[in-house]
Amino acid sequence: MNWMRRLLSRRKIYGELSEEIRGHLEEKTAELVAGGMPREEAEVAARRVFGNVTLAEEDGRDVWKWLSIEKFFMDARYSLRMLRKNPGFTVAAVLTLALGIGANAALFSVIDAVLLRPLPFRDPERLVAVHAVDIKDAAYNGEISYPAFLDWRSRSHSFEAMSVWWTTSVTYTGGTQAVSVRGVVVSANLLSLLGVSPALGRSFVEEEDQPRGEQLPVILSYEFWQGQFGGDANILGRSLTLDDQKYVVVGVMPARFQFPVQANRVELWTTIARDMLGKSGMATQRGVSYLQVIARLKPGVSIPQAQSDVALIQEQMNRQYPEDRPRSAAINTESEQISGSMRPALMILLGAVGFVLLIACANVASLLLARAAGRQKEFAIRSALGASRGTIVRQLLTESLLLAMIGGVLGLLLAHWATSALIALAPEGLARTSDIALDLRVLGFTFLVALVTGVLFGLVPAVQASRCDLNRGLEDSGRGSSSGAGRSRLRNTLVVSQLAIAFVLLIGAGLLLRSFNRLQHVDPGFRADHVLTFLLEVPSQHHPGAQRPAFVREILQTTRALPGVKSATAVFGLPLSEQQDVYTAAEAEGHPLPRSQRPRVGFRIIESQYFSTMGIRVVEGRAFTPQDELGGRSLAIVNETLARLMFKGEDPIGRRIKPSISFGESDDAPMREIVGVVADVKSGSIAGKTAPEIYVPQTPVDFIGEMTVVVRAMNDPNSLVPAVRSLVNSMDKDIPMRQVKTLDQYVSGSISAPRFEAVLLGTFAGLAFVLTAVGLYGVISYSVAQRTREMGIRIALGAPRGSISRMVVRQGALLALVGGGVGLIASVFAVQLIRGLLFGIGSTDPATFIAVPLLLLMVALLASYVPARRATKVDPIVALRYE
Amino acid sequence: MRKETQRDLFPGALEMMILRTLKRQPLHGYALAQHIKRMSDDLLQIEEGSLYPALQRLLKDELVKAEWGVSATNRRVRIYKLTAAGAKRLELEVSKFERMLEGITRVLAPGQS
Repeated sequence: MNWMRRLLSRRKIYGELSEEIRGHLEEKTAELVAGGMPREEAEVAARRVFGNVTLAEEDGRDVWKWLSIEKFFMDARYSLRMLRKNPGFTVAAVLTLALGIGANAALFSVIDAVLLRPLPFRDPERLVAVHAVDIKDAAYNGEISYPAFLDWRSRSHSFEAMSVWWTTSVTYTGGTQAVSVRGVVVSANLLSLLGVSPALGRSFVEEEDQPRGEQLPVILSYEFWQGQFGGDANILGRSLTLDDQKYVVVGVMPARFQFPVQANRVELWTTIARDMLGKSGMATQRGVSYLQVIARLKPGVSIPQAQSDVALIQEQMNRQYPEDRPRSAAINTESEQISGSMRPALMILLGAVGFVLLIACANVASLLLARAAGRQKEFAIRSALGASRGTIVRQLLTESLLLAMIGGVLGLLLAHWATSALIALAPEGLARTSDIALDLRVLGFTFLVALVTGVLFGLVPAVQASRCDLNRGLEDSGRGSSSGAGRSRLRNTLVVSQLAIAFVLLIGAGLLLRSFNRLQHVDPGFRADHVLTFLLEVPSQHHPGAQRPAFVREILQTTRALPGVKSATAVFGLPLSEQQDVYTAAEAEGHPLPRSQRPRVGFRIIESQYFSTMGIRVVEGRAFTPQDELGGRSLAIVNETLARLMFKGEDPIGRRIKPSISFGESDDAPMREIVGVVADVKSGSIAGKTAPEIYVPQTPVDFIGEMTVVVRAMNDPNSLVPAVRSLVNSMDKDIPMRQVKTLDQYVSGSISAPRFEAVLLGTFAGLAFVLTAVGLYGVISYSVAQRTREMGIRIALGAPRGSISRMVVRQGALLALVGGGVGLIASVFAVQLIRGLLFGIGSTDPATFIAVPLLLLMVALLASYVPARRATKVDPIVALRYE
Repeated sequence: MRKETQRDLFPGALEMMILRTLKRQPLHGYALAQHIKRMSDDLLQIEEGSLYPALQRLLKDELVKAEWGVSATNRRVRIYKLTAAGAKRLELEVSKFERMLEGITRVLAPGQS
């Protein structure tokens, strides 16, 4: 390669050029000497005729250079030398930048993984989620029934393909011990809709949406295949039993494939045929809405078009099936669906962290401005020696970029550490957090941010510096008194902007922290401390019929006998847990209502010691007794909200209520007599409102074969885990224990999103605050240093030292007031953005709006007071000696 | 950012003259400078130094080649020779220059208007 050879032979070329020029001068001199000129004179004359020797040589070399790049390296070398010579400045600037850039890189790594990276499917931008929207009650939004889905699919024209899915847990008992995994029930066309195919075997075929023969088809995840079957090459066609059902393996997905994309892993997929088995399969009932819908838009069809298409179909269906709840339809992109409610919060945080970087930029720019003042002489000398303005600007920009790059590298180190903290803090249920990593995309982003940062904070000071007046620069000793006016105005503007931004961020953080504090102090209605919970599945083939309640009673009794256990109970529908809440329509006796108008109530099935173990207060009447579970009379206990809503001040005890859920053989739901009223419990989320709820006495596994065991411990509930585990194992080794967690963990998980937001915005605001305080301190100290002479004169003329320090502090306070004022106005708009994230306080929370300005003013005064004290110590003699 | 050292010349003029001179005979730098000076009767203000960057440009474009040799005064010098590409370029530049000159002359000539 030509340029390569050239690069290597360049030294030789340069050497030859120098030698040639030297030869030229010698020859000329020799000629002149031969003509009778004295040697010294001849040498001068030869040079005069030749012109600028150095320039000729440089221009000659330049011909061979890759100009811009080499000049950059030269500038970089020079910059490094300058930075090394000012370690204090360099460390301050690099640290500031590293904090700003690192925070951005860390947050970007989260946002990139969770929001930005396209889903790993074909043309993911055309994938959408289609929801049913309940016209009367938003609580019913979301899922639809399979018959309704079939109507949507056959009548709509907007989609290339539509598929249903829902996740459920299944128990696989073929291995060494029973494992419970999450499986997904899907339409047969799901994989082709996503544009993926199995790594091994085949996809489902259309006919497999209907049950055929004994076995159902199943496709395994790569990881499940590896973990449970050791990657057995003969897996295809193998039959396995999940729960009570026989399946045949038809395929294995590629490694890392997951659908749905969500926080919890899924390990296998089967078709909707699973839900059609039995005499009342869920997929055959129009009244059972439990399915999610994913669809692929036809090319060129927009979301609003598709939405009105489905909504129109749903309108027809509303007329066709008046028994159903009237609905409409809504569509959003699948990626929005997955990031869900965290999207706005993450965008706000991204904005906040961007502002932190801006503040860091302003700080470094301010430092550079101050330093530029000190370097005026250097620039003047350089331009006197022939450096053009462009050269000086380029030099200064190179320094800034170098600073930014060093800051960026250090920032990446910080980000590496911060990212793991972020992952640990990430809200529960946030999908794709396992993809968070400092990968090439994040590196690229960080590099870009560092680059932009370098230009941003470097350009203004560079242009300012290059504009210096040559003569004055040379004359001035560099501690000029008047020349810095423009520069200090610029620094004041910078610090006012910093103050304003920090103000806004502090307000935001203050609001979120106060809101989080409120959340932490919400009474959930139960006592969450010292409680261990775990989920048990008791398949009916292991313990058929009446054996099952007996088995559950035995487990509870032996658990109660364990040392360190205070009490134990079981429930279907533990509050705040991952177990799906069951809701049903209910009607009070004597007030018959059409099905579509009955209120929606939460439904929990409990063992008799549930309220005492959970610490839920019985407000009226009584709790259940063990006899109540045996059947006989049909009983219920309701919560206060239900009593208020359905009985409007009348005494509900002894009244009868009918939740439309039945057990066992009877098809008709029984009327239940209310024997007690209990306190409201936060069941869905800590921040949410409590729904009306009904508790019924029954063995909790009777409903869908699973229940949560709740154990109140005397000491640390986690210490009970081994004992409980071996107990369950000894009673039936084929039932796995899942979701072993303390109740405290559920409570804290329920507020993990607000915690994430509050901690992050709090950290960013704290960073912004510290950086701003440092910036303000820098500006004030610098102005004190600049005005040493003036202050010396004032003191010499008899000004009391107190008035000098007041003057300095006043300057700081003025800046703080202006910055705070601007920040206050900006906050009024900014708080609108986070209104949706607040709980229990308004967006104009007075406490926050009083505390933040006070805090800012106090720190501003402190940041000015330190330099002000220094100002009063100015010795007039020393100050004036420089005159 | 290069200083304008060839005030009297348009860009490329010096190179053209070098090529023309080398077409007659290979020369080393100093002789080349003296020759151009002599031939122009000192009408052109050329700094001798500016010759060298021009020579480097020609070398890079492979319009001339250089070899170390010994001059008439017994000095070790680099002697420049025109290459085939250089000869071609010279022809092209000269014809371009003549056309330019003709155009300028016509404009400057006393008009018949």
